[in-house]
Amino acid sequence: METALNLTGNLAIARQKATAKKPSRFFREASTVWAIMCREVSVALKSPSTLAMSLIMPIVMMGMIGGNLTQNMAGGLGFDLGLFMLVGMMINMLFTATSQGVATLVDDNEANFSEEMLIAPVSRLSIVSGKILGSSASALASMIGTLIVGAFMGITLTLGQFAAILALSPLICLSAGALMMIPIGLIKNRKAANMVSIIIAMPQMFLSGAIIPIGNSTGILKVISRIMPMTYSLDLARAAVYNGMPEYGAVVMFNPAVSIAATVAITVACLTVGTFFYARSEKNR
Amino acid sequence: MKVIEVNELVKQYKGAKSPSVDGVSFSVGKGEFFAFLGPNGAGKTTTISILTTTLSKTSGEVRIAGLDVEKNARKVREHIGIISQKPSLDTALTAEENIRFHAALYGLYGYRPTFALMPKAYKEQVMQLAEIVGIKEALFKPIKKQSGGMQRKLEIIRSLIHMPDVLFLDEPTQGLDAVSRRMLWDYINEVRNTYGTTIFLTTHYIDEAEHVDKVCIINRGKIAFCASPDEMKRQISYDPTPKVCLPSLEDAYVQFLNAEKEVS
Repeated sequence: METALNLTGNLAIARQKATAKKPSRFFREASTVWAIMCREVSVALKSPSTLAMSLIMPIVMMGMIGGNLTQNMAGGLGFDLGLFMLVGMMINMLFTATSQGVATLVDDNEANFSEEMLIAPVSRLSIVSGKILGSSASALASMIGTLIVGAFMGITLTLGQFAAILALSPLICLSAGALMMIPIGLIKNRKAANMVSIIIAMPQMFLSGAIIPIGNSTGILKVISRIMPMTYSLDLARAAVYNGMPEYGAVVMFNPAVSIAATVAITVACLTVGTFFYARSEKNR
Repeated sequence: MKVIEVNELVKQYKGAKSPSVDGVSFSVGKGEFFAFLGPNGAGKTTTISILTTTLSKTSGEVRIAGLDVEKNARKVREHIGIISQKPSLDTALTAEENIRFHAALYGLYGYRPTFALMPKAYKEQVMQLAEIVGIKEALFKPIKKQSGGMQRKLEIIRSLIHMPDVLFLDEPTQGLDAVSRRMLWDYINEVRNTYGTTIFLTTHYIDEAEHVDKVCIINRGKIAFCASPDEMKRQISYDPTPKVCLPSLEDAYVQFLNAEKEVS
């Protein structure tokens, strides 16, 4: 009898909620993006390996690779390689960690959790956007880790410079995630996703100017560097950091307006194509 | 009024030599309890995937609540809920976090990062459901530390929290003990009786389909038989004596499939 009462009471609440005036489409989509983002953060916080990688990666990238290059190759550049590399590594961290986070869509698929999202009355774009923004949170942790490692090496940013990078980070993460969505929309297993994640991250790290200046690149390397999405994100971040500094001309390659336009265009194009591939691969089997 | 209408549905997977679902047609009325039975690999899950908009069809017409599943996929999703064969839970989250996530996706409550921050109505609803289904103790524990039965119960809560018009149950009691099975059916029957929810069931426990309104058997991708359980028991008995029928739906089902095997 008590169970029956409980059931009826609960069903009444559920029906009341289900039949209540539905929030607007925009609100629902925004709420979906937020929910997926929070879920990503929650999962990352519960994963010791993800947390460990957020700490280890900055030490390896900035502390070891960055430190070695600064000590051995910094002469004759006309600017301080330490600061150049710190900004490069911070953006590289955002790119790499976001890409790796987006690659976990394959895990969701393997664990059948994708079904929960795909069967819900929300757009695929919201699912993908939530995933990218959620991955960006872990990426931010790695970026701050890089900043701390840099501080230990005596390379620091002013508060204004850090705030400028922080303000640009959503766009940068979105472009990284959007780029990763294209292969992820076509891949079905974790091994392949990991491989693609490395294939995308490595050339970008070396050819887009994260650790090595590319202002004097010529031939095919110049062409490749100009089609790397991270090249524009990096240049934009450096334009913000070096703004008003004498090294600006030697470090920044493009007008910031060009970098913003290129980053936005690449993001929109990749997000559209990637979301299309993702939605299609799930349905067209 | 027909809530599910399937007409000449065909699905052939990429690279497959023959269709998994081959010209299937049936309909389910509003509030009906419909069982879609068949052996492994018959095409049940493929059909459910198409009906729930997660798989595209090769040809044919499928409508849910009068809406085409391909042209109006998003609207169709507002009308349906599913408990699938393979759990679709995030095992890194707690049971409650999974429910909260689901409630946000369906626009029932805005997502807040912790249970404590969620609205009172949500908290009450979740706590009550957890008590009814018997997972109150496990509500705040990670899914990966819970048994298969517990995970199934959680899926049940989750699928019903948005009160779908049509509930797809793809082998919902797989891995549940007898008490949990009984509890699940009591709850589903209560939902159906109170709100006229249409139930679409696939199961290998044929006794669960004994009291449904209509049964369709799918075999090798084609509908082999469609009738009420009583009609089925009568027609499959192969006894010329009128009014003699098989004692259970399971007997009728097994006898029917054996006969099909002999014919092929």
